[in-house]
Amino acid sequence: MTTRKVRYKKLNIKTPLPVLREHQINPSEYESLTTESQIATGVEQAEENEYHLQAALKGAGASTDNEIPVPPPQKSTEANYGELYPTPYVEPRNYIKFSDTVEETLGSLYDMTTEDDEFLTTYNAKKPANAQLSEDDFERIMEIFEDTAAEQAPFAAVDNTVVAYEVMAQAMVHLIPKQIVQAHAKIIYEYWMDRRQVCGNKALHPSLKFETHQEHDDMDPYVCFRRREVRQTRKTRARDVQVADKLKKLRRELEEGRQLVVSSHQRELVKREILKADKHIYEQRAKLKETKIRLNIKTDDDDLVNTKPQKRPRAEAQQPSRGVPHNQLRLTVRPDGGRSMEPVDLTLLSDKLIEKDNELRNDIEMKVQNHRRWNHNYVDLTAEPLPPVQDKKEMKFRPAKTTYLMTPPASSASDSMEIDEAPPADVEKALAPFIFKGAPLDDSDQEEMPKYRRRIGRLGRLFIDRRPARSGLKSPPHEGDLMQSDRWKYDQDDSDDEQPYKIKVDSNSLRQMKFRSTIPPPPMLFRRQGADPQQVQGAANRPALPQAQAQAQAQAQGASASSQTQPQTQVPAQAQVQAQVQAQVQPQPVQASS
Amino acid sequence: MSPGILNGEPSVGSEGPRQKSKATVETLRVGCIAMVEKDGQARRAEILSIKDTKSGRQFYCNFDNFNKRLDEWVPVKRIDFEQDVEWPSPDKDKPKDGKGKNSTAPKKKAPSKAQKRPSKREQSVISEAVTPLPFADIPDSQSQSKAPSTPRDLEAKAGETPATAGDEMDIDDDDDNHTPEVKKEEEFSREAEIEKLRTGGSMTQNPTELARIRNISKVQFGQWDLFPWYFSPYPESFTQEDVIFICEFCLSYYGDKKSFSRHRSKCTLQHPPGNEIYRDDYVSFFEIDGRRQRTWCRNLCLLSKMFLDHKTLYYDVDPFLFYVMTQKSEKGHHLVGYFSKEKESADGYNVACILTLPQYQRKGFGRLLIQFSYELSKIEGKLGSPEKPLSDLGLLSYRQYWSENILDLLLECNERDEKSSIESISNSLAMTTQDVEHTLQALKMQVYHKGEHKLVVPEAMIKQREKAKLKQKRYIAPERIQWKPPVFTASSRTWGW
Repeated sequence: MTTRKVRYKKLNIKTPLPVLREHQINPSEYESLTTESQIATGVEQAEENEYHLQAALKGAGASTDNEIPVPPPQKSTEANYGELYPTPYVEPRNYIKFSDTVEETLGSLYDMTTEDDEFLTTYNAKKPANAQLSEDDFERIMEIFEDTAAEQAPFAAVDNTVVAYEVMAQAMVHLIPKQIVQAHAKIIYEYWMDRRQVCGNKALHPSLKFETHQEHDDMDPYVCFRRREVRQTRKTRARDVQVADKLKKLRRELEEGRQLVVSSHQRELVKREILKADKHIYEQRAKLKETKIRLNIKTDDDDLVNTKPQKRPRAEAQQPSRGVPHNQLRLTVRPDGGRSMEPVDLTLLSDKLIEKDNELRNDIEMKVQNHRRWNHNYVDLTAEPLPPVQDKKEMKFRPAKTTYLMTPPASSASDSMEIDEAPPADVEKALAPFIFKGAPLDDSDQEEMPKYRRRIGRLGRLFIDRRPARSGLKSPPHEGDLMQSDRWKYDQDDSDDEQPYKIKVDSNSLRQMKFRSTIPPPPMLFRRQGADPQQVQGAANRPALPQAQAQAQAQAQGASASSQTQPQTQVPAQAQVQAQVQAQVQPQPVQASS
Repeated sequence: MSPGILNGEPSVGSEGPRQKSKATVETLRVGCIAMVEKDGQARRAEILSIKDTKSGRQFYCNFDNFNKRLDEWVPVKRIDFEQDVEWPSPDKDKPKDGKGKNSTAPKKKAPSKAQKRPSKREQSVISEAVTPLPFADIPDSQSQSKAPSTPRDLEAKAGETPATAGDEMDIDDDDDNHTPEVKKEEEFSREAEIEKLRTGGSMTQNPTELARIRNISKVQFGQWDLFPWYFSPYPESFTQEDVIFICEFCLSYYGDKKSFSRHRSKCTLQHPPGNEIYRDDYVSFFEIDGRRQRTWCRNLCLLSKMFLDHKTLYYDVDPFLFYVMTQKSEKGHHLVGYFSKEKESADGYNVACILTLPQYQRKGFGRLLIQFSYELSKIEGKLGSPEKPLSDLGLLSYRQYWSENILDLLLECNERDEKSSIESISNSLAMTTQDVEHTLQALKMQVYHKGEHKLVVPEAMIKQREKAKLKQKRYIAPERIQWKPPVFTASSRTWGW
């Protein structure tokens, strides 16, 4: 069975393969299936046959793994680990973030050798203790020599250039204290030069071999870390432009940065001047004080202190220096800093608080007024409008909240019933004016409402004063209403009751809905209101009857002398009612015995 | 004993008949193959170098079918002068011996390999000697063009090139590529090489050979003395030092003890100079950009080159990221191992070089490194594979990681009675399908039975795996990784912006 060559189907990587264990397949068959096949190991072929690797590979899967022998490392016996690595390590809580390079974490990059050490010891031996050169300083000087040499004479190893001491001295000026340079540098230089000569004028530290583009470079195993060929980017015009833009931008930003530095430099200079001046003033004052004491002049010490008015102008004078627009933030900070330097300028916390408080008050006042101004002539129709800002002057008069009771009309009900029968449309019509009255478009609701106030008079009598809604008196829109109702009047004559309904175009409009909500029983109200005065004052005032009634009366009575104005002109019924209402407007004391 | 035990092929020396005769200490030269005692056994060994020390002459020997890391300096008494020595063939063989000694070992297979794996590396190899170069190229000539442009960090094998050179000797055996004409041309350069060798004298070495000989004998690193395995291009003057000193944290290297202790007094690093991207109570990982931390990464490469044969330092470290595993103590984060990774790998590699330092080997750190590299690939949503060639140790580590994970996956499938495809395995482990397939084949799990491909899990492996599971092993906890795949724009890759 095994001998028969089977041509395998090619195995597709996506084919699902059954996964079995050995006992799930006939062992004898299985044996035969696991025939040797050449498997790519990924190891260099030259090494694939190495003895230890093969042994290890054979062992894989077997119980004992054959290990590949390697030269074993040892714990170092010579190294004094604790001495070489003395710093204890403190683990930060979070994952470490670090980007300093090796060079940045080291101080001097020159490390003195045993030879240097010998030299330095003998050198120092001749010197008094205080004039000795420390190892650190020695290294720093040597580092500068090496760096300068590498910079000035990069090919020293080839052409044997020696950098002159003068050049070195130049380089040391800023980096090494003068006295050290004077005391030691020259001698160290001699030593350095000797050492350089000994090792062929190469860098003293053993260094890696980098490419020199010489013929033998390529095969020299010591040459390492060659630069890679730079990937050629295709040169296009767009790219050129892009690069140019980048450079321009860079230039601009650098220039801005430079300006910033220049400005802050100037600022600091000015600050120094100010400080000097302050100090001068202070000293002069001190003298002045002494003089005063000496001469026994007793005045108040105003001239020894910067008085407040003085400060203000100064502080403001500083403000204009904010000329530079872009970093306002910083500059605003500065004046404070400057101010704090002048002791006289101190402000008291309480002053500040008061100031703030006033500011707040003013602000609120302003806002109240603004709000009022905006709301002037407007009525807030929103669902729950903010209460308008109101003067509390008229506190004594309170608006009367009218609640309509749904009780049936009392005695006069029968009258109205009768009339209703005849022209129901008239009632509607009569109500129409209330749309306009009620709709707060013109004036605020409150103003329309009658108001009352309670007062206690002599002998403990309680008075309730009434101030009816005023709006009716003035608002011009009613004129328009009159016109409209005029129209209705004629319409009504022409046709039947339906007409007025048609005119109200949109029964769902806010206005209409509002209107409807006011519909309930104004007739009653008027009747009641009207009734009392009637009783009290007789016929002096026309009773506030439902318009239908009024109309009927008007028709019936013609131009009766008792009433004032209406019937002369062809004023519609509504107008009559208005007039009646107006008539009631005068405040009438209502007596109530308590 | 000497011939490859497993294959029975002698790998040292050429195939052709060689001149054999007795030799003396004085006459033994570079290129000779002698019987040398190693671990109590006499083995064929090629002499790669000769030096005179106070205690007498020493020979640097490469043992037949042993990895180069076991090469060593051998005193005279370990060489068996009773037996005949194989001399380098006077003319033809010489060059090969000279350069291709190690290579000789690979020779046999080399040609085929060269064809199979038209490698970029071959070209970029550090050690490519002038002369061997022409030879070396020939087997690859088809693929050659691609090579130079993308030399890999990992691979160049110093030792290898010679191998290729060696191939040429075997041409007759396996290599059909070589046409006689080509051969002739080669011969010319070979002649030249021989000439060089002759005039240079036996003690001078071709640079290629230099790279085949360990140049540093001992390294003091932290509290360890390490014995390098391979050549590393530290400053040439270090070759003369008995011991070199490497700072455990910044990896700076010193030949002078005083310099080193001065350096230690100034060095402030206590962990690798990058961002920590993983931390648990056992190890931490740091990500380090080769461009930003050029010095540190170069130092790391130099250090690791001492233990990686196939790593090349031909090119700079800029295009690589280094993921460094450390273990912390009261002194700081100690370098345990690392892997490097191309910022942008055209071949989809997720690891370029990978190394556990010798003092931490055989403790399971390699597996942690490998697991971490795959966890990163999972985060990237890519399939990854290590760059080839692998070293022997690398192969074993990867095989182990792969087989363990595949085995676990398959056992789960088996329990649930589900089928599994190579692709699904590959996706859930972020391994390439080739690696999955190779592992399945190597473990003999992939069988063809009754007209159907099947996966069969051998009982022996299950048992072994269960045993291994009993040992407490450590794993990377993926949820502790704080890492986003870094993005490099074209300009940042070109100019570092």
